[in-house]
Amino acid sequence: MHPTAGTENADSARRSTRRALLRGGLVVGGAFAVGGGAFGWRAGAATPAPSAATDQQILNFALVLERLQAAFYTAAVDDDALRGELREFAEIVGGHEREHVAFLEKALGSNADSQPTFEFGSATREEKAFLDAAVLLENTGVAAYNGQAANLTKKSLAAAAEIVSVEGRHAAWISDLAGQHPAPRAADPGATADDVAATLQRTGFIKEQ
Amino acid sequence: MTPREEISEPTIDELASTLAEIDADGALQETAEAAFGGTRAAFLQRSLAAAAAAAGGLFAANSADAADVATTKNDIAMLRFDLVLEYLQAGFYTEAERLGALTPKTLGWARVVGAHERAHVVALKRLLGRKTVPSPTFNYGSVTTREQAFIRTAVGFEDLTAALLKWQAPRLDSRSVVAAAITLHSVETRHAAWIRHLIGLQPAARAFDKPASQARMARLIASTNFVSAQPQLAGRSRPRLTG
Repeated sequence: MHPTAGTENADSARRSTRRALLRGGLVVGGAFAVGGGAFGWRAGAATPAPSAATDQQILNFALVLERLQAAFYTAAVDDDALRGELREFAEIVGGHEREHVAFLEKALGSNADSQPTFEFGSATREEKAFLDAAVLLENTGVAAYNGQAANLTKKSLAAAAEIVSVEGRHAAWISDLAGQHPAPRAADPGATADDVAATLQRTGFIKEQ
Repeated sequence: MTPREEISEPTIDELASTLAEIDADGALQETAEAAFGGTRAAFLQRSLAAAAAAAGGLFAANSADAADVATTKNDIAMLRFDLVLEYLQAGFYTEAERLGALTPKTLGWARVVGAHERAHVVALKRLLGRKTVPSPTFNYGSVTTREQAFIRTAVGFEDLTAALLKWQAPRLDSRSVVAAAITLHSVETRHAAWIRHLIGLQPAARAFDKPASQARMARLIASTNFVSAQPQLAGRSRPRLTG
């Protein structure tokens, strides 16, 4: 492989990830970034009151994550490399993520963004790579929802809480299967949208919006 | 020490209403204004930073956005309820750990989860500041030494605490309190999935976890008979009860 090829691919993946996740302006150090500091409240940050417009941005952001998770587990089951409880995990959790996608698509209606293209490489074909990726995706899902909770309207918050609850269960389950701590901390800090984008960039899973 | 009005052994109904109490006498409103006044912003900032530090020592102490923080009567009532529930759980796991009668696997779980619940107690007390409530007295009977009874209770505690926090989240007034409470919520679901996995139950049984109301939780807590005496409510927030 040409020495620069990897870098170019990484750059391309990074741009795609940011485009896909941050289209609605859900971005950097942003107006409603919650999750960086003491339970996420930033000094002096202009944090607009929750609104339908903000909900739409956040739900589209969540939709990218849920579609990524759903596609990941579907591909892992299709690739048929997992055995035993790990396969059971992929089947059950994949079903949950598809339900989350369907819920968000319905809630967003015609405002739902188009589906990105994903590419998982060996992560759906090799047990260890699958475990690493699944732990990362589930923990990232928890942090992403927790980071946006206070920015949602009450109605969307109620729905997001029902979803993040299940993401927390997935995270604990897959962590236990991976030999990692299921509940490593007393609080699950929220991540900003930008932090979530950066984490997903590093996976290289998102190719095209 | 200030003499206090003695509180007799409560009935189950009294207990449930104590846990669900929403400051019916209005004393809270008065003391909230007196306590916060001009120092309200600084007080809340301190509380939030301390709560964050307590709940895992994860966060840098940031300034709170004073304009957006409001400790309302509604929020205080919910946080107080959560605090009593965390006292109940922390006491339960701590006793199980101290008595050491469970299997090593279960004890290992209890040790970690007990530490988390104790951290949640500290975090909630800091969030409540002067509006905190003292712990009731608990009597867990033999449940903390019997493997199956302990596990059944622990699964119930964890699943239901998560369900309660889900019910509360959209009912809280302050966005700062929402941001804090939601970081505890997902940890409770992790605990629930973890112990379910330990004993061969489905860790994540459905795609959406439903909420459970505070009133329902109060009835469930009462039904355990673990609370042997209600909290001493005659603290400084209700000076007219002092003798």
